[in-house]
Amino acid sequence: MIRKFPARSCARISCSLMLVVCFVAAQYSVAADAATQVQLNAAKAAPRAVEPLTQNSIVRDYRVAWNSMSHALEFNSLDPLNGPFTGEAKTGLWQSVVSQQRSGLGRRYADQTHHLDAVFYAPEGDAIELHDTAEYQLQFLDKGKVIHEEHVVAHYVVLMTPSADRWLVRYLQAVPQF
Amino acid sequence: MRRLCLNCAYGFLALGVAACLMAALAASCSAQNITVPTSAVAGEPASIAITGSGKATLYILGPGISTKQEVNLGEDLKLRGDALKNAGDYHIVACSDSCHSATFYVSAGKPASLTFLVHPSRVPVSQQDAVSGVAFPFDQFHNLVFTPQTINFQLSAGNASLLNRSVNTQAGVAWFRTSSGKSAGALQVVASLNDFNARRVVQQVASDPCNLRITGQRNAQGILVQTEPVHDCSGNPVPDGTIVSFTATAASGKSTVDAPIKKGVARAEMEATGSAVISGASGVVMGNEVRVGGRP
Repeated sequence: MIRKFPARSCARISCSLMLVVCFVAAQYSVAADAATQVQLNAAKAAPRAVEPLTQNSIVRDYRVAWNSMSHALEFNSLDPLNGPFTGEAKTGLWQSVVSQQRSGLGRRYADQTHHLDAVFYAPEGDAIELHDTAEYQLQFLDKGKVIHEEHVVAHYVVLMTPSADRWLVRYLQAVPQF
Repeated sequence: MRRLCLNCAYGFLALGVAACLMAALAASCSAQNITVPTSAVAGEPASIAITGSGKATLYILGPGISTKQEVNLGEDLKLRGDALKNAGDYHIVACSDSCHSATFYVSAGKPASLTFLVHPSRVPVSQQDAVSGVAFPFDQFHNLVFTPQTINFQLSAGNASLLNRSVNTQAGVAWFRTSSGKSAGALQVVASLNDFNARRVVQQVASDPCNLRITGQRNAQGILVQTEPVHDCSGNPVPDGTIVSFTATAASGKSTVDAPIKKGVARAEMEATGSAVISGASGVVMGNEVRVGGRP
């Protein structure tokens, strides 16, 4: 004997399932974003001192930038690059994503920690140069399958400039050492 | 029992040898070692070598590049200059039976342009540390150049040179800060590196009024007060539209009129029947006081 559920019950169950899925997805997304650790040491910034509120903004916006970049390079999506990047950084990452879309490859950055040192803060506060010592688990993907994985300690030189309501990454380049 | 153990030992030995042979055979078919450039420069060709025999899939992932191709192991692989335009880390992964990886760094080329930020765009004359500039050298592919470069900053107004300073870049940046000049007008700011110049213009405007002097005289309607031509302390005429406040203090009370400077002079007509003391001020600068007698 087959017991049929009323249509209304099915709809309720579907809605509940969708809510659960959305909730879990949201939690996963938040957890992934929150997992990116960013610390800033602005003690050596010159010639201008970095104000505490500016430090908080830079940490927040740099974390957003890396999360967006990770998302863009893992899922080969250009949209995440539109908010936190500008100038050469945006152009370079754009090229990376387009190239990955063509080749079917991807990159996944996991377990990120970033130790930022502010080394230059322009007299008028319109540009800041940061040195990022980053650690992460880097995976290379071929059509979604991990082909290589390694723990990376990388050094990045970062230029950020302020926009109307946030700091944007204008330049991001890996260097062998500082 | 002893023979059984001996047989076991021979068996394990044979298995071990077979395993070693198989591993060696497998290794000979796979990538053994990847040799990458020790010093690659953006835009210049480079080559990588992967030892071994047979075919492998080669992945190259770097800034702005992501490729996958089949290669023959044991042959040098040429990378074209346009594949290495962006400075940064390039990862090489070669996969046959197993995957091997290597990383090499591409550094920026020679400086080919300057990004030059100058602040502010408009500045009062004779202000301490009011003008600043920051310069970043980039190569032809827009990679920031980290090797120290000497950037020359020149500031001039008219024919007068206000600053000529050479600064070495540190971590890819050079900067200056200086005072504004003494005369209103265009301030030319130039950053130069080798044959490359970046030119900006800062508009220098008169500073606050200096020695504000007013005169007043009674006429049929009241008291006509006006300033002498208003200048800053360097003798530059204060721009039209700057507000001068005239305050008349009389027995009947105090009244204030704000008047903009027009053609270098601010002028206002104040109502006062009796004698009054009139003062003028512009911004934080106070002028003289004049006493005007009452109506006869």
